[in-house]
Amino acid sequence: MPDRRETLLWLLRALALSAAPGMAIGSLNAEPRVIGGTAGAAGPPAAIHGIDADGYGRDPDLRHPRVTWPLTLEPEQKTAVAALADALLPAEEGSPAASALGVPDFLDEWISAPYPQQRTDREVILAGLTWIHSQTAHAHLSAASAEAVVARLSALAAAGREPQAHFFSRLRNVCLIGYYTSMSGVAQLGYVGYQPSATFKGPPPEVLALLGV
Amino acid sequence: MAAEPFDVIVVGSGAAGGTAAYALTRAGMRVCLLEAGRFYDPERETPMFQRTAAAPLRDAGTPDKPFGFYDATVDGGWVLPEEPFATAPGTEFRWFRARMLGGRTNHWGRVALRYADHDFKAYSRDGYGADWPFTYAEFASWYDQAERLVGVFGSNPGLPDQPDSPPGCLQPPPVPRSFERLIMAGGRKLGRPVVASHTAVITRPSNGRQACFYATPCLRGCSIRANFQSPTVLLPPARETGRLTTITHAQAYEVELGRDGKARGVHYVDRLTHRHHFVAGRAVMLGASAMESVRMLFNSKNSRYPQGIGADSGLLGCGVMDSTGSNVWGQFPQMENLPPFNDDGAWLPHVYIPWWAWPEQRAGKLPFARGYHLELYGGRLEPSADTFDFFDSVSPFTYGRKLKAEARRYYGSFVRLSQRGEMIPREHNRVQIDPVLKDAWGIPSLRFDVRWSEQELRQTAHAQQSMAEFIEASGGKLVAPLPQDPAQAILPPGRIIHEVGGARAGVDPEKSVTDAFGRVWGVPNLYVIDGGVFASSAHKNPTLTIVAFALRASDHLKRELHHA
Repeated sequence: MPDRRETLLWLLRALALSAAPGMAIGSLNAEPRVIGGTAGAAGPPAAIHGIDADGYGRDPDLRHPRVTWPLTLEPEQKTAVAALADALLPAEEGSPAASALGVPDFLDEWISAPYPQQRTDREVILAGLTWIHSQTAHAHLSAASAEAVVARLSALAAAGREPQAHFFSRLRNVCLIGYYTSMSGVAQLGYVGYQPSATFKGPPPEVLALLGV
Repeated sequence: MAAEPFDVIVVGSGAAGGTAAYALTRAGMRVCLLEAGRFYDPERETPMFQRTAAAPLRDAGTPDKPFGFYDATVDGGWVLPEEPFATAPGTEFRWFRARMLGGRTNHWGRVALRYADHDFKAYSRDGYGADWPFTYAEFASWYDQAERLVGVFGSNPGLPDQPDSPPGCLQPPPVPRSFERLIMAGGRKLGRPVVASHTAVITRPSNGRQACFYATPCLRGCSIRANFQSPTVLLPPARETGRLTTITHAQAYEVELGRDGKARGVHYVDRLTHRHHFVAGRAVMLGASAMESVRMLFNSKNSRYPQGIGADSGLLGCGVMDSTGSNVWGQFPQMENLPPFNDDGAWLPHVYIPWWAWPEQRAGKLPFARGYHLELYGGRLEPSADTFDFFDSVSPFTYGRKLKAEARRYYGSFVRLSQRGEMIPREHNRVQIDPVLKDAWGIPSLRFDVRWSEQELRQTAHAQQSMAEFIEASGGKLVAPLPQDPAQAILPPGRIIHEVGGARAGVDPEKSVTDAFGRVWGVPNLYVIDGGVFASSAHKNPTLTIVAFALRASDHLKRELHHA
């Protein structure tokens, strides 16, 4: 029976990797590289990535933002993502858990998006979820087992084990973005802004004292 | 169009074309402005108060919107399916385009520095490239006008590499933000200046524009018209004259000459209908962007100019430059766990680090001939998709309550220093027409052959070291060690979006493409007024110089047409 890590590595290889940078057409002296145009612009085959939607395009309505692609996580994947996100970013006093701030939906939006970074993350994260599924006896990831999985991923990542380290890094990064760019997350970090003012007075004296400037 | 006899056909509506439209219509001339992109109205379209939380992918950059969903650029980007270009084997070039009214004035860093006298005489001082065809003294009054028109905040610290502006040109700069004060303190330790940036944002109401209200991300554009964008600053007063006709979706591709050898008008293709049109005028000004204007000249072939108008000297397309660029990130323990406070300010740089080693360089004590300045970004801006980029290095493997504590601790404690340096113009760094490649409208495309030399690499090594010194002297730590090889640090040519040159202005028709006013040699009523004319490109961001040059060229054309 193959090692489960081996399975995951195989999966990652099978799903690899992104589009070729373009196709050479014509030359003055030698073959140049072409940036843009239709040649080679199609990207990786949709069948492998599971994403064939269009993006929001180059001229979306900026004042009425809208996600234009369908979400693609299966319900059980979404449940697992919620459990993992809550293990990464749990509820504390005055600070909700990731799932309460819509992080699983955001992760679904992210990995369902038809853009290169998100397609790459999709491969890594879906393969990771498959690995986790293969590691656990139950169909649903409980909170306790999610914590154990995250602890184990962290330990494997700390030991330099790939592809777990990469999976942990990408999962954590997408969850951090989803959490801390939400309105609650922004407030938790102490960002203050979008307040029109006739003047800008600079940082308050107590901050300057803390900074020593 | 037959009903509308135009004095001047202006191609492009950005810093160059917008300025010409402004100056010429106000001088009484009827102008036809050709813009490749769509109509764009920042007052109506800018997502001023939309929050990151509401944007797809939380405003992360994508190929559709490289600087984020809310970024002002629409119908633009690095890779445009309809508009391919080629790069020579073994080279890289990034070419950012914005097909919209106002072009790239809608998204820019808005750092607006004057060239010094020695910047106009770069060849005379070190033997590289070519001098500009005028001195600072001859050009200074155009900078004065450009600063008043654009609206620039800044100060006059009397530095050798940064000419002071006369009274009444600059607006008061806002006070520095927290991270800027840290770097200023570091600069004092190092004995290097950190001074008010010159930034194209107004801090006092002027010309009917509202002052900055210190509240929204500048790169989205500005519906209150406090920052400089052509569609809010240049085009409304031009429209008010009743003498401006704007044609959008008009991809200009050829200048036609009459039997007298003068330009008689411009051919364009409507990007939506693919129909071809011709519009006639008494003069033509190309402000399509440096590379697009060069492309148009190459594509304007006729029996007199079989290689394209302006190609006689063999220099058309030669001497393409970008600014050098590299970054170093610092993490500042003093900035950790600060109490909440509003540090948005004008969003763009309040301060910058001018080129302090110019006297040393002039004395031949540095291993590179041209200078750089440093810009600062970071601090407590709204959390974004980039905010946690460094968590794998500063807080690896953390999760749970610890991770949340680390997020609160590190937020706002990162500062990026960015090098913006001068690239030496070299004739072999060039664009040509690719023999095969065409855009979606059948117009021959450009092929770039641009590479950094040892000069830019040595400058970058120096800049990387300087940025590390600034971070450490300011109490910060480098997020990652500096690369051993500056080639790993320097960004690819084009990436800073300061590409200029290719239609160099000069005094000798054998050694330049245009005269000192941007007139293409041999065609007295055809002007290049954008970055194409740059004989050299100081480390100072090109937009202010483009606006000043376009004002000067427009004034020249006005006098020429009056004489005629």
